[in-house]
Amino acid sequence: MPGMVHVVDDDASFRTAIERRLKKAGYTVATYPSAQQLLIHLPDDKEPGCILLDVRIPGLSGPELQGRLNELGSILPIVFLTGYADVQTTVRTIKAGAEDFLTKPVSSEQLLGAIERALAHHETLRAQRSKLDVVRAQIATLTPRERQVFELVVRGKINKQIAHELGTTERTIKAHRQQVMEKAKIQSLAELVSIAEHLGILPQTPEVGDSG
Amino acid sequence: MGLTMAETRKKVAELPDDSVIIYSAMYWDGEGTFYPPATALALIGEKANRPIVVGAETFLAPGGIGGFVLVPDLIGADAARLALRILDGEAPANIAPATGGVKPIFNWEQMQRWNVQEASLPAGSEIRFREPGLWEKYRWQSVTVISVLLLQAALIAILLHERKKRHGAEVESKHRMSELAHVNRSATAGDLSSSIAHELNQPLGSILTNTETAELILSCQSPDLDEVREILADIRRDDLRANEVIRRLRSFMKRTTFETRDIDLNELMREVFDFLSVQASARNVVLYLKASPEVIRVKGDRVQLQQVIINLIVNSMGALASIPYGRTVISRAELNGKKSAVVSISDSGPGIPPDRLTQIFDPFFTTKEQGMGIGLSIARTIVLAHQGRIWAENETEGGAVFHLSLPLSVA
Repeated sequence: MPGMVHVVDDDASFRTAIERRLKKAGYTVATYPSAQQLLIHLPDDKEPGCILLDVRIPGLSGPELQGRLNELGSILPIVFLTGYADVQTTVRTIKAGAEDFLTKPVSSEQLLGAIERALAHHETLRAQRSKLDVVRAQIATLTPRERQVFELVVRGKINKQIAHELGTTERTIKAHRQQVMEKAKIQSLAELVSIAEHLGILPQTPEVGDSG
Repeated sequence: MGLTMAETRKKVAELPDDSVIIYSAMYWDGEGTFYPPATALALIGEKANRPIVVGAETFLAPGGIGGFVLVPDLIGADAARLALRILDGEAPANIAPATGGVKPIFNWEQMQRWNVQEASLPAGSEIRFREPGLWEKYRWQSVTVISVLLLQAALIAILLHERKKRHGAEVESKHRMSELAHVNRSATAGDLSSSIAHELNQPLGSILTNTETAELILSCQSPDLDEVREILADIRRDDLRANEVIRRLRSFMKRTTFETRDIDLNELMREVFDFLSVQASARNVVLYLKASPEVIRVKGDRVQLQQVIINLIVNSMGALASIPYGRTVISRAELNGKKSAVVSISDSGPGIPPDRLTQIFDPFFTTKEQGMGIGLSIARTIVLAHQGRIWAENETEGGAVFHLSLPLSVA
């Protein structure tokens, strides 16, 4: 799978070696001597790629860069590569969503395997995100009233309750509901709930006993 | 004999070895000059080359060696006793004539002059004018001097023994210090093990990757040999780098006995900084070294002085763990007059509570959860063994600073 590998390592010799190897394997390679350099030339996460990140680098450390990228909403998978793997750091980075954690010296087989998996994962994340982007755009076309109806429907309210809450008739609600399903291009209530969850309109675990 | 005094004196000076002079009494010489007999004896005795045997006690003092002499005191006493018996009415015819009054008496000075041994004198001889020995003359002074000498000797012996014991203790304590310093170094190396692993795996990682790339290139139809050459050069460089890491570690871990050499302090500190650079970057600490422009030479044990500086810097880095950013450790080496050099290590940490400024050098005093509390105490022990001083203070603008002063080696 072709892609761009962003290598962050303070060791010039290692950057050269890894760049040479990855290019031979057919990847595009960008190297950064420090975490700050990567933040300045922030990679585009819409293009297929991943980050190969050293844990111990002067200045901003590997795990710290990971945190910053998460905050920035980057979906580029991160493969950590370190000269010394202590349990604490490993657990912390994996919990924060690291794709893999490798220890130097690393064999090409291991390295390329991890990069392949990272790129595949990135592909999935990108697809999910673009699908979600589409839905987000569709939902954005809802009128304020339709949006209110949408939010109440996905919380499991029946038309009668919604009409009562919004101070209108059941018939009007039915029409709004029809409009929402059409604009979102979906057929079932289940799908509507799933979209709401992904867009963050509903909490991932449904609340119990919410009376509105 | 008719000899003049001068002739007599000349004659007695030329007597053969087996002769002896017997002097009874002389009043006049051949010229008719009068001499009291004692004076005459003195004049003759002055020149005589043989001892002069005399017949009366009174001639002992002027120069006679002695002999069986008449003792006027005894004769007088005998005469008095006889006279008393006659006065008591005893008939003089019945009284036996006195025979006493003669005693073997000798002159010590003359005996010395003629080398006459006391043992060769007749039994019961009395010796006159014996010179008292030093011992008799200065008895109490001698006793005092001898006892003072004895006391002194004893004191010296005790001091020598103490010195020997002290020397033994010093050797022992240096040995102990070397042992403890080695333990401390091992512990430090343990602390630094992740850094060392990192430092070592960095070149090893490059070597492995480069090797695999080279293999890949060589398996092609028409391999790019220039690139392979470039890769091999990289591999060689990384190999030397890994070797250097191990060399540094070994020189640090070497178990050494205390040995003093001339050391360039600037160079020593640079080595320590190289050694700690990875550790520092892992802890996000910036290390600054301000070497002295002059060459500073101190006398000491290289490994142990390195350890002092490592301990101080590691300690400072530990103090910085609690602050989020701006973690800095600055080390300075500078001359302090013509006799000593001062190394200062300051950090941007929270400083040391004033009541603990001296306590921190005590063994097993620690504020760290996993600290053993021996780093600073070992540093102090080593510095003291180098006739140096170590102390800590807080800087007015914040942070702690450790100083150590070492005497310069005399060129």
